[in-house]
Amino acid sequence: MISPPPDVAVQVRDLRKSYTVHEKDPGLMGSVRSFFNRRSHEVEAVKGVSFDLAPGEVVGFLGPNGAGKTTTLKMLSGLLHPTGGTARVAGFEPRKRETPFLKQITLVMGQKQQLIWDLPALDSFLVNQAIYEIPEAQYQATMREFTEVLGLEGILKKQVRKLSLGERMKCELAAALLHRPRVLFLDEPTIGLDVNMQESVRAFVRDYNQRFEATVILTSHYMADVTALARRILVIDAGQLVFDGDLASLAEQSSGGKRVRLQLRQPISLADLSRYGNDARIDGLSAELSVPRSEVSARAARLLADLDVADLTVEDPPIEAVMAELFGAGREKAAESVTGSVAASVA
Amino acid sequence: MTPFLRKFRILFSTQFALMTEYRAEIVIWMLSGTLSLIMMLVWMGQAAAAPGGQIRGFSASDFASYFLATWFVGQLLVVWVAWELDFEVRQGTLSPKLLRPLDPMWGHYSGHVAEKIVRFPIMLVLVSLFAWLAGARFSLDWRVYAAVLGLVVLGFTVRFLWEYSLGLLAFWTESSTSFQEVVWLVYAALGGLFAPLAFYPQWVQNIAVWTPFPYMLGLPANLIAGKATLEQAGQGALVLVGWLAVFILVRLMVWRVGLKKYGAVGA
Ligand SMILES: Nc1ncnc2c1ncn2[C@@H]1O[C@H](COP(=O)(O)OP(=O)(O)O)[C@@H](O)[C@H]1O
Ligand SMILES: [Mg+2]
Repeated sequence: MISPPPDVAVQVRDLRKSYTVHEKDPGLMGSVRSFFNRRSHEVEAVKGVSFDLAPGEVVGFLGPNGAGKTTTLKMLSGLLHPTGGTARVAGFEPRKRETPFLKQITLVMGQKQQLIWDLPALDSFLVNQAIYEIPEAQYQATMREFTEVLGLEGILKKQVRKLSLGERMKCELAAALLHRPRVLFLDEPTIGLDVNMQESVRAFVRDYNQRFEATVILTSHYMADVTALARRILVIDAGQLVFDGDLASLAEQSSGGKRVRLQLRQPISLADLSRYGNDARIDGLSAELSVPRSEVSARAARLLADLDVADLTVEDPPIEAVMAELFGAGREKAAESVTGSVAASVA
Repeated sequence: MTPFLRKFRILFSTQFALMTEYRAEIVIWMLSGTLSLIMMLVWMGQAAAAPGGQIRGFSASDFASYFLATWFVGQLLVVWVAWELDFEVRQGTLSPKLLRPLDPMWGHYSGHVAEKIVRFPIMLVLVSLFAWLAGARFSLDWRVYAAVLGLVVLGFTVRFLWEYSLGLLAFWTESSTSFQEVVWLVYAALGGLFAPLAFYPQWVQNIAVWTPFPYMLGLPANLIAGKATLEQAGQGALVLVGWLAVFILVRLMVWRVGLKKYGAVGA
């Protein structure tokens, strides 16, 4: 077995994928025409992506729908063959899908189940134990840990189709990680789950990463997943990597600057507050506004001098806001949620 | 136990549990496979009306024996893997299986074998009942049944592999299951499901002997009905082994090429 170079778990160089898409006009004539004359065009889903991941690193892989996240993860796990560039994962070329490679990786894709629907999840686990040649003692130990962290007690012996979506996702994750892979590709692992379930999936991934020093790439629609798990963020847009860095510096990309929150002793009018920054809001004695990054201390000093302030905090904008700004999505949605904002108190 | 056998044993016992879940469906499915039984009634009626009560040496009771035996053997040769593959390719559920270090074929194969074992006792009951009703008579020589078992295992595996190859056409076309229906017709005709092969024109028989079909279905049925010899069984087995080798290679080739296609267009 070839062991991976110790300093890189995943190495991606100028990775590309284009799909050939056949066009068909709607309706009967469209079908007839496409039967005789198949028109097709290329969709460049991934256009030259490069990055390295160190063993044990957890990265959030973000980008709008159709940016190429799933395509990239499929290439890294060996399901899709790149049309250009190279990928090495745990020292292997993924597309060859060699057994020692497969034993070191896993890919979890939302709802695509590997569990046997009409049997208890335990049966699927036993199948995976056999297929991955997991020694009995290791299997028992892993099952004990997973049962504890994921709270699988009592659901392992129920038919999979009788489980709730969240319970099924937990079993799906357990099945996918039973062989203790060293590299995890998680594509929307929390999609459709309620907040508690999301949290327990997150806790599980965090625990697994720490216990086994596994490398994790995680895509998610829920920024909370990413902010809770990943220190490093990769942002892909229209097939290209547009950002690679830590969470805090992603926030700095935002031109919106920092968010200042005030607790006042005296009410103030919106017009007055707006003199100190943009996007001001007032709710009783609570107020907030955005100030340019470079002027945070000056403006904060002025606010403290001019107004009767009980408390003042400066926060990075929520990651949703940054993402929305990067991709031009609606700002209201970004403002709704403040999960995962990195708070820094000044007052 | 070798690692491979261990894997197969677990796959098998899991699939066995699954098929036990489906036992009611299996019975209904079995009863829907009644073509042999209808052909039996048709030919029994013909024989009864024929002068001397026989057609080409087959009496009504001979027809009953032959067609019940084809029903029995046909039940053991049922393969539905092409549908499973078509579904998996279309739904993308093949993808997670491709990431496991075992050819997904073994899961399907063990599922089929497990289903046969669940099916077997029900078949015995039904065939005894029909035999009693129709006045069929079966061979009492145990060696005949050993030979039948051998032919059925070979024949089933050959059929499984060609159906698997057909199912893999789902990588290229949305109509892979319609190819399968054409192939079924040839299998049923040359296998002797509509009439014993000896009833066909000579030129059809001359072609049929080069195909695997008569040896997997008609031959074991004739053995059970007491109309074929063990020597013929041996020869049939050799032909099937030849076809087995062919289809192992065909399946492997289609699989390799298919995976390239899958890897290019995506799940
Ligand atoms: N099998 C496929 N055939 C053709 N185009 C595809 C296929 N899969 C994805 N695409 C296209 O490739 C682009 C990237 O898709 P995807 O990787 O699924 O994005 P994401 O996961 O970031 O939402 C999209 O434009 C999508 O429509
Ligand atoms: Mg996606």
